[in-house]
Amino acid sequence: MSNKEKESIQLLQGTLDLIVLRTLATMGPQHAYQIATRLQQISDRLLNLNQGTLYPALVRLEQYGWIKGNWGRTESNREAKYYEITKAGQKALGKETQTWRRMSALVERLLLEES
Amino acid sequence: MERLRRFFLKLYLLFANAKVEAELAREIGAHLALLEDEYVRQGMTPEEARRAAKLAYGGVEQAKQRHRDERTFQGLSQIPQDIRYTFRQLRKSPGFTVTAVLMLALGIGTTTAIFSIVEGVLLRPLPFPDPDRLVTLGDVLEGSHCASCAHSSVTAPDIRNYMRDTQSFSHLGGYRGRLFELSGPGDPAAVNGTRMSGEVFAALGVQPLLGRTFTQQEDEEGQQVAVLSYGMWQSRFHGDANMLGGKILLYRKPYTVIGVMPRDFEFPLNPGHVNQGEFWLPLSLQPEEFTAGSVASWNSHMVGRLKPGITAGQAQSDAERVAQDTMRDYPAYMRSLRIHAVVTPLHEDTVRQARPLLRTLLLAVIVVLLIACANLAGVLLVRAIRRRREIAVRLALGARAATLLRQAIVESMVLSIAGGAIGLALAAVALRVGVSLLPQTLPRVHEIGLNWPVMLFALGLALLTGLLCGLAPAFAAIRTNVNESLKEGGRTGTSGSGHARLRSALVVAEIAVALTLLTASGLLLRSFEKMRDVELGFRPDNTLAALYVLPQQRYRTQSAIDEFIRTLLTDVGQLSGVDAVGITSFLPAAGNNWGIAFTIEGYVSSKGAGLNMASMSLVESDPFEALGIRVLRGRVFTESDNANSQLVAIVNRKMAEQYWPGQDPIGKRLRRGMRETSTPWMTVVGEVDDVKLGSRDAETMPQVYQPVTQTVASESVLASVGELSGADGWIVLHSRMDPEQMEDTLRATVRQIDPQLPLYQMQTMEHAVSKSEAPRRFNTVLISSFAIAAVLLSVLGIYAVIAFSVALREQEMAVRMALGFQRSGVILLILSSGAKLAAVGCGLGLLGALAASRLLRSFLFEVSPFDPGVLALSAIAMLLLALAASALPARRASGTDPMLALRGE
Repeated sequence: MSNKEKESIQLLQGTLDLIVLRTLATMGPQHAYQIATRLQQISDRLLNLNQGTLYPALVRLEQYGWIKGNWGRTESNREAKYYEITKAGQKALGKETQTWRRMSALVERLLLEES
Repeated sequence: MERLRRFFLKLYLLFANAKVEAELAREIGAHLALLEDEYVRQGMTPEEARRAAKLAYGGVEQAKQRHRDERTFQGLSQIPQDIRYTFRQLRKSPGFTVTAVLMLALGIGTTTAIFSIVEGVLLRPLPFPDPDRLVTLGDVLEGSHCASCAHSSVTAPDIRNYMRDTQSFSHLGGYRGRLFELSGPGDPAAVNGTRMSGEVFAALGVQPLLGRTFTQQEDEEGQQVAVLSYGMWQSRFHGDANMLGGKILLYRKPYTVIGVMPRDFEFPLNPGHVNQGEFWLPLSLQPEEFTAGSVASWNSHMVGRLKPGITAGQAQSDAERVAQDTMRDYPAYMRSLRIHAVVTPLHEDTVRQARPLLRTLLLAVIVVLLIACANLAGVLLVRAIRRRREIAVRLALGARAATLLRQAIVESMVLSIAGGAIGLALAAVALRVGVSLLPQTLPRVHEIGLNWPVMLFALGLALLTGLLCGLAPAFAAIRTNVNESLKEGGRTGTSGSGHARLRSALVVAEIAVALTLLTASGLLLRSFEKMRDVELGFRPDNTLAALYVLPQQRYRTQSAIDEFIRTLLTDVGQLSGVDAVGITSFLPAAGNNWGIAFTIEGYVSSKGAGLNMASMSLVESDPFEALGIRVLRGRVFTESDNANSQLVAIVNRKMAEQYWPGQDPIGKRLRRGMRETSTPWMTVVGEVDDVKLGSRDAETMPQVYQPVTQTVASESVLASVGELSGADGWIVLHSRMDPEQMEDTLRATVRQIDPQLPLYQMQTMEHAVSKSEAPRRFNTVLISSFAIAAVLLSVLGIYAVIAFSVALREQEMAVRMALGFQRSGVILLILSSGAKLAAVGCGLGLLGALAASRLLRSFLFEVSPFDPGVLALSAIAMLLLALAASALPARRASGTDPMLALRGE
């Protein structure tokens, strides 16, 4: 393993979906580049992801019917595929958030007791 | 919910790949462009920006692959590509492809054809609504030892009593099939019709195509109405819908046509093609059918529909109660008879006799298919071994084992589906030709054909075959040891021992099952031969027979009948070429006989032996001479044996040996009925040879002959009021000419006596004998052809394996020969490896034959399933064939040039 990878956080299974949904829910329609940039911002560059890593998550969410992609134009008049959260996506986000909270609380408690 | 949605999308995307790929490329392009813009904005040159963008994005190809993995079933999406690859591979070796596909086509085709027969006859529900509720109801007559009574039967009073007194049936009715003389419109003809209760239509629950069916009330009122079959409506009335209300003449009595049944309606479900019922009449039991001998004639059948919630067992105890009542009311002359009611599901009653044959055929054909499978697996394995280097290289370059496995299975699937498609076509052709050749013992033959269940069966068979054939070679392929294979280089020594074991196992299995089938076929052939050796008891050559039935409408009195018979015998006797003529009620070999009970003077049957049953032929003039039946003792009947003289009888050898063992039967006395039946004695005046009334392999019954003219007198209390005798019978004549030439002469002679009287079932006795042998011939021919196919396939298999191992060991042979090994030694080496496989296979095959003996026993005739001659002969034949198959490669091996060893490859 290289040094860099040691420092950065390994993404937990399923968390990427949650982050993408959350991003789209708070910031409105975004294209893949915007989502990736946002990801890097909020993770303080701790999450060192290749931007291409995002694509499988996008296709998965789209197949679940939680997000929907449409072609549009950026401010610089470049074409880009904008993803938008759907109603089902909003609902799923609520559920996933709750699950995540419970999970993290549980892990937190566990870690506290262990230490 | 979303998981399901995703599943279907993933499936869908298997087929919309190109579109999604393009969209993905466009999205990635756009993404990179945005990244580049950003880097340019940060002050990079366009060149640097492009590099940086790609770096930030990560590997484009990896991202695409991950996208693919995520969006669809990755393995499956590769299959179209695999199929293309397979086609390319197969095109490269057309010989292999054609052999493999044809082998499978034959295997799957025959299996499908046989299965469609099994499906049509055994498995398909009866063509009536709610068929599971339909049952037959009949009596078992204690002590009648009626092994030939496949279908339970009832008497006329039984029909009345069961219909009136049982409570378990929502509908229950009786029926009786018989031959009718049909006239107007069209030529007079003999057709099969069924008299049945109005309730039977209600029980079956089938609606007519046109018009209506008759009701129970019409039946009881004796209405003369008829419902036609679709076939008769088409052939006699050209499908004219306006013929309802028209009349047909049956035995010259008019019947009004009130309905036509649908095309697929068939009842009773008689075996074979020829005995199909063409119309249905009300049963309308006549008063005389409740008196005298009719009360003791089990000549009808019953079918009913169980009430909801009633089981067949409950219905049976219900009917048993009625049977007990019926017995209590038996007239004095049949007081000792005991009956039990039996309720059987209609389906069971219909298919019982056909089941063992069809099971055996299906097993035989599956064996052939398995051999074809083993062969295909063998050649695929050989291919896999040939391609070992290619596979090793691919594995070394990072191909995944799963990919190789998938490709191997796709290859065998493509082969087997192609084989299946061709096989299905073959089956369709075979069925079109073959259904008419099926034996007359199979019921519901009209329902045999290719339909959805059969097609699905063929497809499933093809897929299963592909999977089974593909798996072994596939696993062999992925077990390839990359290092070993690549190190070996071109030099292939005696390598791949694991695969060799697998191939040998396949061949051993093939030989074993082929031998099992071969012995089965040998045993059947031997049985056939034994059957042909059985004495018929009569001389079939130059003998012609035809059935006449005198319509009651015209022949109302005994004297009219007697007049007809006298004229007929005189006129036929005077024809040139005819040297003997007679009339008999049972035609030998025709199989239309049944037994009646006799009481023999001074003979006390041992307890539990039951009734003394014998078949009773009523004869007129000298059918013994016409049929060439040998008279062993005493005399035949003469003119002076008539209604007014002493009652006489002739018995056959079996009857004489059974009741008067070691004595001269002449002068002994016997009479009709049971001990309590008051009938007059008949004196035995002659003893004749045993005659086969059915097929040769059926047991001979005790037989009694009696002059037609003495029937009524000998029946006494059993005779009904005004009973006429001799109203039907078989004319048999022996001629010095070809009997077929006599047919028209005979017809013309009868037409002179009664222009409207048709002759039925005119046939030479040779034809009748051949027909009685047909079922056994059918079994034998079919099983033998399967055996031949199996043996050929397994010989092919052993050849392929030996030839391939010889090819692999060419180097080794060359080395051996360079070191001074003799050519004959090489031949011996190869032959012995073939013989070893064959010996093991034959050993297992003999065990298989022993295991199959139980199944086969019922088809054998005077041959033990362990007949040592047949077993030994089959095993030796198989061994010799296996040796011959290895001889060819052995010769080739012995011709190996020793220089090969030095040159290498």
